[in-house]
Amino acid sequence: MDRQALRERLLRIVGPDGIIDDPDELLVYEYDASDEVFAGHHRPDITVLPRSAEQVQEIVKLANEFGVPVTPRGAGTGLAGAALAVRGGILVVMTRMNRVLEINERDGYAIVEPGVINLELSQLTQPRGYFFAPDPSSQRACTIGGNVANNSGGPHCLKYGVTSNHILGLEVVLPNGERIWTGGAAPESPGIDLTGVLVGSEGTLGIVTKVMVRLTRLPEAVNVLLAAFADLESASQATSAIIASGILPAALEMMDHLTIKAVEAAFHAGYPEDAGAVLLIELDGLAEIVAESADRVVELCRGCGATEVRVARTPRERELLWLGRKSAFGAMGRLAPNYYLVDTTVPRTKLPPTMRTVEELSREYRLRIANVFHAGDGNLHPLVLFDRFVPGEIERVLRCTTDILQYCVDVGGTLSGEHGIGLEKRDYMTLIFTTEDLCAMAGLKRSFDPRELFNPDKVFPSGFSCGEVNAIRQQAMAKRLGIEFV
Amino acid sequence: MQQALDRITTLGARQEPAAYEVDGLTPQLVVAPDSHAALQEILSLANEAGLATVPWGGGTQMGLGNLPRAFDLAIDMRKLNAIVQYEPDDLTVAVQAGCTLGELGAKLGAHGQMLPVDFPTADRTTIGGLVATGLSGPRRYGYGALRDLLIGITFALPSGQLSRGGGMVVKNVSGYDMMRLHYGALGSLGVIVQLNFKVIPRPRAERTVVAAYRRLSDAAEAALQVRFSQLAPTAIVLLDALSAQGVGLEMPGWVVSLRCEGPPTAVQRQADRISEVVRPAADRVDVLDGHESERLWTEVGGSIGAGRLGRAIRVRIGQTPSELPRLAEEIDRARTGLVVELSRLLDIGSGLCYATLAAERDEDLRLAWQRLSGLGLHATLLTAPPGVKVDTDVFGRQPAGLAAVMRALKETFDPNGILNPGRFIGRL
Repeated sequence: MDRQALRERLLRIVGPDGIIDDPDELLVYEYDASDEVFAGHHRPDITVLPRSAEQVQEIVKLANEFGVPVTPRGAGTGLAGAALAVRGGILVVMTRMNRVLEINERDGYAIVEPGVINLELSQLTQPRGYFFAPDPSSQRACTIGGNVANNSGGPHCLKYGVTSNHILGLEVVLPNGERIWTGGAAPESPGIDLTGVLVGSEGTLGIVTKVMVRLTRLPEAVNVLLAAFADLESASQATSAIIASGILPAALEMMDHLTIKAVEAAFHAGYPEDAGAVLLIELDGLAEIVAESADRVVELCRGCGATEVRVARTPRERELLWLGRKSAFGAMGRLAPNYYLVDTTVPRTKLPPTMRTVEELSREYRLRIANVFHAGDGNLHPLVLFDRFVPGEIERVLRCTTDILQYCVDVGGTLSGEHGIGLEKRDYMTLIFTTEDLCAMAGLKRSFDPRELFNPDKVFPSGFSCGEVNAIRQQAMAKRLGIEFV
Repeated sequence: MQQALDRITTLGARQEPAAYEVDGLTPQLVVAPDSHAALQEILSLANEAGLATVPWGGGTQMGLGNLPRAFDLAIDMRKLNAIVQYEPDDLTVAVQAGCTLGELGAKLGAHGQMLPVDFPTADRTTIGGLVATGLSGPRRYGYGALRDLLIGITFALPSGQLSRGGGMVVKNVSGYDMMRLHYGALGSLGVIVQLNFKVIPRPRAERTVVAAYRRLSDAAEAALQVRFSQLAPTAIVLLDALSAQGVGLEMPGWVVSLRCEGPPTAVQRQADRISEVVRPAADRVDVLDGHESERLWTEVGGSIGAGRLGRAIRVRIGQTPSELPRLAEEIDRARTGLVVELSRLLDIGSGLCYATLAAERDEDLRLAWQRLSGLGLHATLLTAPPGVKVDTDVFGRQPAGLAAVMRALKETFDPNGILNPGRFIGRL
């Protein structure tokens, strides 16, 4: 690659303030929110910050011409290393494309650029009675584009569904430099559901340049309950009982003793510090239903041995309870210098034995594990705490987390509920998928990106190759050559 | 080819081809495999011999699709109809594609759960067929479309390879979303073998508020006002008089139907509150209870499907909810000079309009589709007599870039073009 020539051409597209290639300045782009111990650090050859879809399109065309990898990136809050330029090349940072282009409350949608911060969209639409439902814990920093790439979750996905359910349409620059719109304001766009295919594809199929999102009407009533339990297992049982009762809370979050202590020390959210575990339960909807459900939830929690059930009486109390939850990852710094996040989902009835296993593994490997997670979805987040400078600790963390993953897979669970596979979890993919499964996914990838320039070395296990898909692809390429790919 | 057909015959129960007609064509052979292995072998033989193959469910939505280029083999999926795994306490279920909506509904219902789709043909409509055709009724407003409830899939490629995506958990971002790849793809990228869903607790009560108006504008305003409020009906539709008659509502003018579901007292309160909102300009407001309400929505499901209609076509047009009333008027104007009978159903909750037009002559229907195909944000000819489908794409025209991506996917997954050849978008 002629780096100087590439730089010159990129300069013409994005201008001098849109390029970063000074080694010192590039340093920050060698990392994302994943732990360096596991994901490493990877220097892009050049970082560009486009301001328009047209610029993105030009950048991608240039990458094709030079045959260099393209890695899209939002705010870099991902925990799986998906935004790291593993093979160098061009890192396309979307944070300057941060305009809200349209808000249509009458029909319940907005069109935004991908660099818009998640929380900002809800703050903007709340006075008009609407919000953007996906609310990852990093929502104060993460971008909508990043949410789309990872099909992000968040506490309120229990009732409202993950990001994919809230994306109506996408403008996307494809790996061949074409720019298309998929989906739109009305459902059932004819043909293949490309919007659905693109959401959660971790930047391996294209770069999103505009997002049409569904806005959700603010509920009439909201009720937040805090239930304290002696241990994780009884809290897990209460979770299963609530879900099985047919009540669908807006959110149902669990925190264990370790997390409660850390959060209390940092934020004074008002959690009972002696509790072995707490559940944070939000109910929303019509006033009548919320009231009835709240009574039932209290009953169910008591039935599972809740030592205390508290109701947040004011918006301020509600906010505090949520602040504690949403800042929990941040509070982990008080407990240990490093943590490794496991993001598995298990069938909800498997929560109690899974939590028991996590506790056993914590003892076995002599590692502290904090649990703060979306219990209602069965989406665990055991945070394995460690210090990278303690000899042997990293290896124990790896063994411990692999054991947790394996157990969860054995009880019917999956690798990642909401943070994505990226770089860091890709080698676990064979735990849940066969070669045939992965080959079909590789077929999807290569239909979009036959030259494999987009976000290479992500999602698929390292060294994965699929002879059959290659053969299919060659046939398809031969048919297509001269039509789209010149 | 004959050799391949001969071998395929031995791999499943042979059925009578006459019952498997697609737009006037019948296959040479119909076979119903009863195992994955048999299905895989049938597909791989068909693939090698280049047999034009149609995966077949209940055959209730076969109006959808362009005219087939050829039709050699139908694979009847109804012997692969097991409920593979049902975990009521997890609210998840895995079913084989050939299981009917009715059978699954009964099983879920026994545990107080459901899939929120209503079709009068539930005892014949298969789950695989529903997902392949991408049909969800107006209840998608309250519960999401089927696409949003899909958590896992198993499908067979023409090569015979069996692949999976997703899993049996309600939140999962491991790997690509292969479920949505196949949702609405008309079985053209693979044969759906198994589908995993998250299911919904069955509401303990339901009521439907039905309000009649002389003018479309009043009816639409009432419906939109509820949609814009914090009230939470699970479906909102607007029907013209003929359409209302079709679902058993004898009311003149325009009818607004709003479905309320939930715990009994809450449903009653909500129905009262909704009635108040829609009453001012209404001629009449009724509230339908439990069974009556349920029956109405099953009938509504029949007015949005893609089953064959004889001398009629049905067009589905996407448009934002607030623009739907204008669209309804445009549709009426579009039939000027044509001898067609028109009924319209507006799914105000979701942003879709279903127009059903009946006429004696293909020519009138063809012209009607031509005019309607340019309205709204997108239009699909859900069902039509074969003569009306000549020289048109029933899925409408696509921008070139979008069509290229779909073609690339088709060429990757079905390189020999054996699955539903010609029937999908862009004649894929």
